Amino acid sequence: MASTVGTGALTPDRSRAREARGRLAGPALVAPFALFYIVFLLGPLIYTFVAGFFNGSLLRDGFGSWVGFSNYADVLNDSEFWRTLKHTLWFTVLTTIPLVLLALGLAILADRFVRGRWFIRFAFFAPYVIPSASVSLIFMWGVLADQTGLAQDWLKALGVNSPPSWLGDPNWAMWSLAGVTVWWTIGFNFVLYLAGLQEIPRDVHEAAAMDGAGPWQRIRHVVIPMLGRTTTLVTVLQIVASLKVFDQIYMMTAGGPDGSTRPTLQYIVDTGFTDGRTGYASVVSLFLFLVILLISLVWFFLVRRAEKES
Amino acid sequence: MAHTKEGPAATAAPARTEAAAPATRRGYDAEKLFNRVALGVLVAFALLWLVPLLFATAISIRPADEIAVDPASWFTSNPTFAAYEDLFDKGKLPYWYANSFIVSLLTTVLTVVTASLAAFGLSQVRFRFRRGVFLLLLAGIMIPMQVLMIPQFLALQEVGLLNTYWGVVLPQVPNVVAVFVFKQFFDGIPRELIEAARADGAGWLRTYWQIVMPVSRPAVSAVTIFVFVAVWNNFLWPLLVVTDPEMMTLPVGLNSVQDAFGIPYAQLMASAVLGAIPLLVVFALFQRRIVEGIAGTGLK
Amino acid sequence: MLRRLDSPGRSAPDPARGTPAAPYAPSRRALLRGGAGLAAGAAATAALTGCGTTIAQGFTGGEPPADRLNFWNPFTGGDGERMVAMQELYEKDHPDSTLRATTFVWGNPYYTKLSLATIGKRPPHVAIAHLSKLPVLAQAGLLSELPADALAKQGMTPEKFDAKPWRKSHVDDRLYGIPIDTHPFALYFRTDVAEKAGLLDGGELVDIDGPDKFADALRAAKEVTGVWGGSVASIKDTATQFRMFLSFYSQLGGRPLVGDGGATVTADLDAAEEALAYIQRLGKEKLIPTGANGQAAITLLTTGEAGFLMDGVWQIVAVLDSGAKFDMRPLPRIFDDAPYACFADSHALVLPRQPKQDDDRLDLSLEFTASLLENSELWAEGGHVPAWLPTQRSAAYQELTPQSHYTAAAEGAVYDPVAWYGGAGSNLQNRVGDAVSAALAGRSTPRAAADRVRAVLHKLADVESPI
Repeated sequence: MASTVGTGALTPDRSRAREARGRLAGPALVAPFALFYIVFLLGPLIYTFVAGFFNGSLLRDGFGSWVGFSNYADVLNDSEFWRTLKHTLWFTVLTTIPLVLLALGLAILADRFVRGRWFIRFAFFAPYVIPSASVSLIFMWGVLADQTGLAQDWLKALGVNSPPSWLGDPNWAMWSLAGVTVWWTIGFNFVLYLAGLQEIPRDVHEAAAMDGAGPWQRIRHVVIPMLGRTTTLVTVLQIVASLKVFDQIYMMTAGGPDGSTRPTLQYIVDTGFTDGRTGYASVVSLFLFLVILLISLVWFFLVRRAEKES
Repeated sequence: MAHTKEGPAATAAPARTEAAAPATRRGYDAEKLFNRVALGVLVAFALLWLVPLLFATAISIRPADEIAVDPASWFTSNPTFAAYEDLFDKGKLPYWYANSFIVSLLTTVLTVVTASLAAFGLSQVRFRFRRGVFLLLLAGIMIPMQVLMIPQFLALQEVGLLNTYWGVVLPQVPNVVAVFVFKQFFDGIPRELIEAARADGAGWLRTYWQIVMPVSRPAVSAVTIFVFVAVWNNFLWPLLVVTDPEMMTLPVGLNSVQDAFGIPYAQLMASAVLGAIPLLVVFALFQRRIVEGIAGTGLK
Repeated sequence: MLRRLDSPGRSAPDPARGTPAAPYAPSRRALLRGGAGLAAGAAATAALTGCGTTIAQGFTGGEPPADRLNFWNPFTGGDGERMVAMQELYEKDHPDSTLRATTFVWGNPYYTKLSLATIGKRPPHVAIAHLSKLPVLAQAGLLSELPADALAKQGMTPEKFDAKPWRKSHVDDRLYGIPIDTHPFALYFRTDVAEKAGLLDGGELVDIDGPDKFADALRAAKEVTGVWGGSVASIKDTATQFRMFLSFYSQLGGRPLVGDGGATVTADLDAAEEALAYIQRLGKEKLIPTGANGQAAITLLTTGEAGFLMDGVWQIVAVLDSGAKFDMRPLPRIFDDAPYACFADSHALVLPRQPKQDDDRLDLSLEFTASLLENSELWAEGGHVPAWLPTQRSAAYQELTPQSHYTAAAEGAVYDPVAWYGGAGSNLQNRVGDAVSAALAGRSTPRAAADRVRAVLHKLADVESPI
């Protein structure tokens, strides 16, 4: 925004006339977008907040009747809500760590090569552009299927007699879903890291090499620290994306087995659209929103403090 | 990507690798060894990453009787496209392709136009509360659309837009990230360029359309790409809004509608492949562009 | 996030070079080319399939043409095949109507779709609903009441229907569905295995009723197969677990799990524990697998690795197709504390509430329904006990084997308890089924599993009904 200040080369008179018209032109230009913003983001957010005080139903017209804070109290006392929140956070941990570290590692390695980069980039990024429905079909019926699946087949070839039911065993299902998600979305983080690596000036490498630093030292002491900002960005984006997980879990396990993988967003869909309890689901939505907001704010705060200290 | 022009980013890379070569002989050997290991690891991962896609493709062209004997095998002596033919003959795939395309295109166009207009206003036109408006819009980044499904659904039900393209499209239009990307770009446009146009008597709209947009193609294509991909792959929202089988988008159709004749393995994999193909082709054609676009926006 | 995007040099144009956009020119052309290609592709697919009117509907939200009959069902596999055959017969007889049938994923996703479609004013004209779901759908106002005179016009009169499902199709004495079948949870057995195990007597299965007798029969079969005695789906299949549980629980005289339309819990904890203990016993004694999914459970029978299979009668086609020698009978009477009972449900044809009531459309829909009923024999071949008495009482059906061997099971049919969260593929089935499979797999004691059943029921019942 700084560039718009004080760069005008016009006479004060004309620029003032300009500004007068700008007063209308500015808002007018913003208006179409603002309209969408108000109707589809701000309005619904307020509605969500208000609807939480009513026992609204998808199957009845209107808001329902006023129930005060009872939806809020019910959600806070709802063990299933906390359980789904726990699953959501656990999924976030299981995916964010490999999705950041592995993407970082692979991008650093890939950055060293020019020939064949097309192939590497394609291999990692191609899954990212595939719809979740395709991903789920491939893994549910192909790779992770019981008896006929590739993963069990390979394990049997390695001598494991009874490989687990990847998506059917409560001890394995969440790990399997996390694995699929890493496969599916790593390309995005990989590309962000590649872009970050492009921005490291080459004389930094040169200087470090002159000092006799080997490739590993250079990566550890020069490259990774210089990617700090990218890492912050990638991590926070990843956390927020993982907290919103729904598609692949809904399609591959529907939250099972034994509810062991059901994320909060699915709880919202289940209570709001399958059961039709819109008031209750609004409160769950609001809590999920607060969790996402809180986690991203805490993360930013921590990073900011770390940056100030260094 | 042989046929696309190598950009500055891509040509910078070899120079850097050479420059990084250390002076000492020992250092050179270490470098070489490290590179070999790095290449090995990278290629191993890349191959592993391709396995699911290749496996799905391999299964999809195997005849049913061979699959019945050995489901997890990769190979077939009689490749067949029967599964694909079945899907096109009996299924609603052509509808889903068309719907996905229409919905993605509509959303993209509406987003690009409204977001760039707003960004232009916020970046180049001075007005009261401009900063406040910008911050308010920006705060929208923090609101995930997914937590607003219920009111959005009820609103669309109220106005009768469920099961229409508009129902899928409109709530996806207010994309704050797009405004942000545009504004970021517009802020970098020299003030003189715009003042010159203004001095020639061009109105704001004309300045936007004839001066600003033509020089902003990188931003436009970045936003176009990430909005198009996001809308094409969106699952949850169209799942709720569209229940008519012929109005479904590709991901929703693939998930919801089943083949009455059971679920032959080859056909499942074929439908996964068909779901994947459109964007994979686009990606293969415009790889560098897309990757730069995603990297440039830095936001999903 | 903000600062990072501020970083210079990525994309800002450089006016000093005169033509800021120049470096991107080739890509732009490429983009245009790609865009044109995509558009041409979409146009081509649209033209090929003639979905122009559908696309127009997508923009305007208009209704489908008047001669169109949209029909939704959750039938795949053998059921799906039969249903398609029945639809084809209808189309042959009514060449001028346009039937569009769609098959959806069974269970909650199907019913969610059905209610969202009705709320969204684009419901199918005819749909399949389970009778366990029908009261909920009717009370939610999602179904049209069926007028007796319009039914009679198509030859569908009350006396032609099996009394039990017919009664079940009413809510507050109003008719909301036309039942087509009853489909109980039953027992499959391999005749070759049973023979070797000494369980056959003159071609008939010996008496295996009672907790020990059934377990012994399974053990005898296990000695023959060398792998399992029987099989049942427990992985990724909460519904099957629920069906097994409800069958045994009801034989113990257990009251309906919930009452008052789901508002109160009436489950009998002791009966639940006893039923769960028996289920656990079968798993513990390694008579049935605790880790088979739906497909695997059937495959174990068809490949001869299990002698028995507890599953719904609708799997008959899958077993027949395998060529295995098998027969069927009602699920054994394990407990005799109450009249014979086994889980069952029925499929009914319902007419979702249309945005506009239209008599011609009603006739069209009912005509289709009548046509399906008249072809009930095809449906019966798929395992279901027909609700259409002209078919059920026909000589052809009586001679159908093994279908006619379990008709008696329909007498003991126990449906899901009526609750807004109950019915086929519902939360109730899923939550209770989870507890049952935990008991089967030995992850929890029968008592703990029974407590869990009661806890989930209380949790479901405590929620105010959205209807």
